[in-house]
Parts: sequence; structure tokens; C-alpha cells
Amino acid sequence: MNRSLRLALFVVVALVQLAVAGGAIVKSELALRTGEAFRFRIQPVDPVDAFRGRYVAIRFAVDRAPAADDLDVKPGKHVYLPIEIDTDGYAVLGWARAEKPTSGPYLRLRAGGVYPDEEGNRFVWVSMPFRRYYMAEDLAPEAGRAVWSGRRGQREASVGVRVRGGVGVLEELYIDDVPIHQWLAENADAR
Amino acid sequence: MGRLSIRWLLGELPKLEAERVIDATVAERLRAHYAEKTSGSGRRLVVAIFAVFGALLIGGGVILLLAHNWEAFGRGTRATIALAPLLVSQVMVGWVLAKKCESTAWREGTATLLALTVAAAIALVDQTYHTGGDLESFLWRWSLLLAPLPWLLNSTAVAMLFLASLTWWAGAAKVEGSQILVMWPLAAAVVPHLVQVLRSGRRGLRAANLQWAIALFLCVAAGLGLDHRVPGLWIVVYVGLFALMITLGAASRRGEEGLWRRPLEVVGITGSIVMWLILSFDEPWRHIGWKHIHTTERFHEVTSWLDLALAIGLPLAAIVAMALLLERGQHNLYLLWGVSVPLVAVVWPLTVATDSRWIGAVSFTLLLLVVGIATIAEGVRRQNLGTVNLGMLVVAMLVMVRFFDSGFGFVLKGFAFILVGIGFLVANVVLSRSLRAAEEEAK
Repeated sequence: MNRSLRLALFVVVALVQLAVAGGAIVKSELALRTGEAFRFRIQPVDPVDAFRGRYVAIRFAVDRAPAADDLDVKPGKHVYLPIEIDTDGYAVLGWARAEKPTSGPYLRLRAGGVYPDEEGNRFVWVSMPFRRYYMAEDLAPEAGRAVWSGRRGQREASVGVRVRGGVGVLEELYIDDVPIHQWLAENADAR
Repeated sequence: MGRLSIRWLLGELPKLEAERVIDATVAERLRAHYAEKTSGSGRRLVVAIFAVFGALLIGGGVILLLAHNWEAFGRGTRATIALAPLLVSQVMVGWVLAKKCESTAWREGTATLLALTVAAAIALVDQTYHTGGDLESFLWRWSLLLAPLPWLLNSTAVAMLFLASLTWWAGAAKVEGSQILVMWPLAAAVVPHLVQVLRSGRRGLRAANLQWAIALFLCVAAGLGLDHRVPGLWIVVYVGLFALMITLGAASRRGEEGLWRRPLEVVGITGSIVMWLILSFDEPWRHIGWKHIHTTERFHEVTSWLDLALAIGLPLAAIVAMALLLERGQHNLYLLWGVSVPLVAVVWPLTVATDSRWIGAVSFTLLLLVVGIATIAEGVRRQNLGTVNLGMLVVAMLVMVRFFDSGFGFVLKGFAFILVGIGFLVANVVLSRSLRAAEEEAK
């Protein structure tokens, strides 16, 4: 293969590399700047990723949604989940559907299969796209510990998520309604 | 002409001169000609190795620095930091492609740096926006973006990184219960690069390194890729795979020196010994075959068929490679190591039909014993200490697993170990002496 053809092909590959990284930036920025804000209850722990550093792993208190009898979705396929607000002001997932809702905020998530629950009602497991809250390596374990103690009933942990066009982007991690960095600064002794 | 061939030719010159095939002037001219050609090659190799390791360290350092998570910077700054190293390494690779394409050090070094800055860029974007899911998703995106680079940049280091990342992804995805069928077509992205490298110097270090990476990838990928719908089909797949590696390695050998330059044979023989030892127990032969096919779990239709295709294709390919060796009338020892293929072709269906586990266990115990002894005999015949020791290693390991496995008493086990140990020492002493005698005779 001659040199200029190889160079031209490389330019295409380089643009794809930039587009993948840049596209994720644009998509996330759009959701963060113009998306609607919601708060989800969570249950976190704190692990580490060799490439992306330390993070607080997030387990959503709700990771399944009710499914109508006629909803047929294979594992790995996308479903649309309207976002509703419960009596405490936290976001919960509404009835799953195969088509995009015409109005109201929603998330487009991958389904993990449809199953009946203990009472025989159908529900769909969903894979939440925001499962990690990345933090500085010294703060993440402390944040993890802080939120863990929340699981024992002393503290309430939640995340702020901005949603736009089915895309949700994690904005902030809260402990007792206080942003995590502020909470860690204020509770240096409690840590 | 490769470096090894030149070394051989220069070694032959005194003999050719003594036998008056060429005169002293021609010999001197040949020496001067090839000395010029080889003078820079060692240095170039060192420079290339340093370039790759330098790039690996710098790229790894960038990833670690970014992994610290510099929260104090705003999102905009971090997005810029994510893309800047990627852009810089892309420009460097572009410049190398345009101006320095012939330099292995420049090509491999900048390509490695690019591969790592791609990882750094997607990692930092994920970190900044808390997106990107788990490690599996990260490795998948990285593997996809690396796939065209080995061929496009003619970089073996990137091919090795790509295969490592793809294997890691497949392992992580398998643990999560995801489907990994797509691993095979994606892995095929290294094939054009393999052709590229084999054409430019099949006996070179790059060809050896790439074949090591491919052989190790295949060992892991074959296991990860199987669906295990038909219990025990993995036995046929792995026996076929290792036999194919040995015979293919032997058939495509062109006088490569040293174990590092013969990865297919080394991985194939090591894998065969481990696999045969496992198969010499009766447990792997329990409940195998169509009668015990899994029906309750969910299986992927295409992957199940691929299992079958591998179980038929790999042993057949090994037999073709063996036929090739037979036709050339060489490498008897390698043919011996391929005997496992016809053996498994008989034993597997027989075990399936009778449901008796001992047939397989006894067959592979005997195979280990026969191949071990025959390898020792071949080593003695060729006066090759390495081959003798390989054969003895096989026999010793067989004795070890058999005696730990069965209910023999400690006294009997003790004697057996002492006997095998004495056998090792005596054989080595005898062979060393006869080798020394042969050397003195030659002088």
C-alpha cells in the first residue's frame, strides 16, 4: 500500500478516535447543561479501576421497573423508562415501554429481561448507565465509607442525574442532601 | 537476507575457503559486504525495544496521572486534557507515516504511545462525566479503537496490546455472562499484520513476538469462546488446538534458533502436557457427549455451532499439518506429539457411547508414557540433552500426578520418586559423556 493511502486511512482512524472521545464529551455536556435534574436513591461501595482511578460504585435502590403484560423485550435490547417522582421527592422508574414516550422525561436503558415478582407482577431489570462516581484517589474511600454507614440507616445517599433525550449523566453524589465534597469537608471528624 | 542466515553464511566461509570452493578474496569481500549489512541491525533492534518501552512507560504514566482524578480542574479543562495527549500522539504517528515509515523504532514507539493515549482519552472522559459503565465496556471500546492500528501502522507492539485488551475484555464479559462471539472477527484484525510481518522477516524478533501473542491469545480465547452446551467438547477442541500449534509450528519452521523464535511449538507442547495430565484423571470424562447435552440453561445458537466447528476443524487442520510433515519425511518427534488427535477421535466417541470414564483416563496416561519415553529415545538418538529432559519431564510429571491421585502407600510412592530421580541423573550423566565423546571425536 502506498504511503499517501496509508496516511489517508490513518487520518480517518484518528478522526474516529477523536469522535468517540469527543462525542462522549458533547453528549454528556448537552445533558448536564440543558437536561432536567432528578435525584435517585443509591447504595454505594468504593472500588478502583486500573485505568480510570478510584470511584464510588453506585447501586441504585431501584434497578427494575414495572412491565405491562404485552411488553416483550429481549435481554440486551433497549427499553424506555419514564421518570416519576415519589412522595419523598426522589426519582423512580415508571412503566417500561418499547417505544419512545411522546412527552415527559425518560431514560433509554438496556433491559436485562422480563420476570414476574413474588406477587406475580411483571417487571423488567434495567442496567443503569451511571454506576460509578469517580473521585480523587484519597477522597473516594472516605466517600465510600461515609455512604456505607448511610446504609445502616444513619445517612441517606443519593445521586443527582441530569436527563436529556433519554440520556442520563451523573452530576453529583449527595449524603444527607449535601454534595459529597462539601460533606467531606464539613465532617472531617466524623470520617 | 535475515541476520540468522548471514550468521550461518559467515560461519560457513572458513570451511568453503579450506575446501577451495571460494578463494580468500571472495571470502573477504563476502565478510565485508555482510558485516556492513549487520553492523547496524543489533543497534536498531535495541533502539526499537527502548522506543516501545519508553512509549509504554510514558503512556502508562499519563494514564496513572489522569487516574488520580484532578477534581480541582473544571470539566472543560479536563476534557481538553483528555484530548490533548491523543491529538499529540496522532500528529506524531502521522508524521512518522509520512516521513519515517521505514524506521521500526519510530513506528513501534509512536504507535504504542497512540494506543495508550487512546485509552487515556476515553478513560478521562468516562471519569469526568461518570459515564462509560464498567471495565468491560471500557476494554471493549479500547479494543475496537485499537483494531485497525496494527496493520495500518505496521506495529507489533500495538497488536500485542490489542490482543491483551481483547482477551481481558472477553474474560470480563464472560464473567458478566455477556455474549463474546464477536471476539473472533475482531481478533482477525491482527491477521493482515501477521502477513505483513511474516513477509518482511519470518525469522525476526517481531514475527516471534507476534506469534507468542497470538498463540497465548488462542489458548485463552478458545476456552472463553466455548459455549459448553455439549459437555466435554472442550477436550477435542483443546487437544486439536495444541496439536495444530505443534505441527503447524514444525511445518512452517525455517531453521529458527532458540525457543523464543518457536512460540507455536513451545506453547503447543506445554499446553499438550498440561492438557494430557488433566485428561489422565477420570473426572473430565464424566458425563460427556450428546446424552448429557444441557437443555435447561440459555445458550447462544451460533456459539454452540462454533463449538462444534472448532471441535471438528482444529483436529482436521492438525491432521492436514501432520500429513504435510509426513510428506516431507521430517520432524518425527512432532508427529508423535500429534498422535493425541487420532487418539481423542477414537476415545471421545467411545466414552460418549459407553459412559465409562476410565477409557479416556487410561488412554491419556498411556499417551503421556509413550510420548515421554519416545521423546527420551529421540533425544538420545539425536544426542540432544534438551529433548531428553523434555521426555523425562513428561514421565516425571505423569508419575507425580498418578501417585498423588491413586491410593498407593507412601513407601511405594517414595520408591517411585527416587527411581525416577535416579533415572533423570543417570540419563543426563550418560548423555553428557557421550556428547563430550562425540565432540572430541569430531575434533
